[in-house]
Formats: sequence, C-alpha cells, structure tokens
Amino acid sequence: MDIKLRELSDEELILELQKNNTEAAFNILVQRYKNPLTNFVFRFLGDYEACSDVVQETMIKVYRYKDSYSSVAKFSTWVYTITGNLARTEYRRQRRRNIFSINDYGEEHKTYDLPDESYRPDVITDSGIKDEIIQKALLKVKETYREAVILRDIQGMSYEEISEILGVNEGTVKSRINRGRAQLQELLKGIYKE
Amino acid sequence: MENDEKKYEDVINALKGLQEVKAPANFEADLQRRINSEKFSREEKKSFWQNIFVPAKLIPSLGLVAAAVVIFFVVDTNSEEMDNPFLIEPRVREDVFAVTELEEVQQKQEEVSKEKSLKKDEPLKKNEPVLEKRRDESGLRSSEDKMITGREKSGEVEGLLDEKDVPEDQDLNAGAYAAAESTIVDSIAAPQPITATVTSSELVTGQAITKEELNFRQVQLTEEEQNTVNELKIQQVQSVKKANKSQK
Repeated sequence: MDIKLRELSDEELILELQKNNTEAAFNILVQRYKNPLTNFVFRFLGDYEACSDVVQETMIKVYRYKDSYSSVAKFSTWVYTITGNLARTEYRRQRRRNIFSINDYGEEHKTYDLPDESYRPDVITDSGIKDEIIQKALLKVKETYREAVILRDIQGMSYEEISEILGVNEGTVKSRINRGRAQLQELLKGIYKE
Repeated sequence: MENDEKKYEDVINALKGLQEVKAPANFEADLQRRINSEKFSREEKKSFWQNIFVPAKLIPSLGLVAAAVVIFFVVDTNSEEMDNPFLIEPRVREDVFAVTELEEVQQKQEEVSKEKSLKKDEPLKKNEPVLEKRRDESGLRSSEDKMITGREKSGEVEGLLDEKDVPEDQDLNAGAYAAAESTIVDSIAAPQPITATVTSSELVTGQAITKEELNFRQVQLTEEEQNTVNELKIQQVQSVKKANKSQK
C-alpha cells in the first residue's frame, strides 16, 4: 500500500487524503515537503525553532483544510502559499517583539539565532561562517524581495510558480527578484573580494 | 533576463551554494502529536457551563469573595438607618417649656400696660421741661421710630423676641434676656431710661414693641403752656450763662 502511495504525485496523494482520509498519504506528503519548507522558512526567518513551528503549522493546516485544496492548482504552490503566509505572519510578530525589546533594553536585539543542533549543515560544515554571513545579508533584504529571491534562487522555482505563490504577476516577481539580488550584492561585496 | 542572471551571478551562486536546512528529526512525531491533540480537543468540546466555570479551582475562592461582598453591603454595622424626617414624631425637648395658658400671659400683659401708662403720666405732670427736651429730640425720635418699624418689618426684633422660651414664673429681668433687653433699650430709648423697664417686660412677655407703647407720646401744647416752656427755656439759658460767667 505504502509503495503504491509513494509512486503517486503530490496532487494524487492529497486527493487520496481528501477522498479516503488516508493517513499514509498525508505522511508521504509531510516527508516530501518537510525539508524544502524548513529550508525556505529558515532562510526567510533566520530562526530555526520558529521555522520548525511554522512548517508544522503548515502541515496541520494542510491536514485540517485538505478539502479546500483544489486540483486546479499544483499542490506545491498551495503548500508554499500557506507556508509563505504563516512565515510572513511569524516574521512580523518577531519584528514587533524586537521593537518592544529594543525599547525595553535600549540595545539592538538580533532577529535570529542559530540553533546549536548537530544536523544543521550550516553549522557543521566548513562553509558555515560564509553561510551565516549570507544568511545575515539575506535577512537585511526587504521582506517582499527576500521571499521572491529565496523561492527563485534557493528553492529553484519558476517565475510562474512564484507568481502563483505570491499572488502577483510575473513581471512583479522578476522585479522583486532583481531588486533583492541587487541588495544582496551590495551587502555581500566583501565576500566576493575575498 | 539572461543579462540579469549574469549580472547577479555571484549572488545567485552564493545562494545556491547555501546548504539545505533540514527539518528536525522528531518533526513527524511532533506533528502527529499535535494533530492528535487537536483531534482530541475538537471531539471533547466543553459545554457552556464548563466554559463559564473554568478554571474550576477558582470557584471556591470566587464564592468566598462574593459572600464577603454580600456581607459587607447587607450587614453594615456602621451605617445608621435613615428614616424619613417627615414621618418621625418631633422630639420632646425637656429644657424648653411651652406656654400653654394664654390667658395668664394676656393678664400679665394688661398689668404691664397699666403700669406703663401710670409711669407715662407721672413724668408729664412733674417734669414739663423733659417734654421740651423730647420735642427737641423729635427729629431723633422719628428716625428711631423708623428704625424700630424697619426692624419689626425685617423681623430683627421678632427674632429676638422669638427667643422667649422662658418659663412663665421665671424672673423677667433674669438670664440672657437681660442682655437682649439692654441692647434693644440702648438703641431705641436711650434718652428715656424710664422706658427701659417697660420694654423689657414687653420683650419677655413676647409682645412686639409698637410705636404707641413706647413713651414717645405726642402732646399738643396750648399757647399758655408754650409760653411757660419758652420762659423756662430762657431762664435755663440765663442760669447757664450765669454759671459760665461765675466759673470764668
């Protein structure tokens, strides 16, 4: 049964979940998307614990609102849209919290903290420091541009998919990606010189 | 678009070179637990009353507080009962004696008025120069009359007379009324000390002072009387002058 399910596409699995409420289909979807979504949310938020929570919340919403999925759209688009919305909400909540903390303590509170986990590739590899610098730079890019850049250059999505996820036309997506890249290039000048 | 890709080649490569961040190992277990807990919470929906009385630990303490509040407002030992003042019977004041027998009061008033008339006649007969003096002071008297009538109207004198909660048998000139009496007499009839007793009796008996009752009776002199008065005046003036000369 599981083997057969694993051969199914994302859209077929969600349909199976909708029709038969097959838990295995949902588990396969979770296995397929947990890492890409975690990577996307972590690059957007810079907070591993928060990103894990956001991805879990996304999966819970997929399970709870499985019937609201329409087979017209791609499942990946649907799930990335949910994740993006939740990630944005979390990012704004964190930003509000940081504003209050600055007011309270009078010093800059960093908006991210890297988890001390052994399975974190950016920590255990030699290029960890470089990754951290890039991550910091990414977090300085404007929110809307950052999301588009991550989806395009890190997640490797097409402009069409990104436009569907963000709910804007392709021209806007390209513009946002270019602006985000330009900001990043400005921020990462030092790395390129080395 | 290709130009853009080339322009930002370094950035794109740097982003693509980032290592993929993976979900935690217990991700699926946590997710399953959360989904199950959500299912459980959905199935067991709390009733309306359960929602009201949650948390249940607070019920005893809330009950205690409510009881304390009720006791505080219902059994307030310090508060006095407020009765309707219109329904309360007037309090009997033992220190005040009410005049119940008006006849006795009227008799006393008559006696006093008789005494007064007698006293009025005597000085008129014996001391004619006094009458002359009174005429001279007629201007003053008229103004004083006005003052008295004014006071009567304004109730100033009545106010003093209202303080007549005095026993009938009590001495008329005694107590605080003597002071009131003296002030009124001073202001009204200072030139005629004879009237002092009259007015005091009137005050104490509670009668208002009228113009007729005062000792300011107007007397029309005949020509003969007027001549005698003038002669007396001249004699007095001469005697005063002689006295002054002798002093000098």
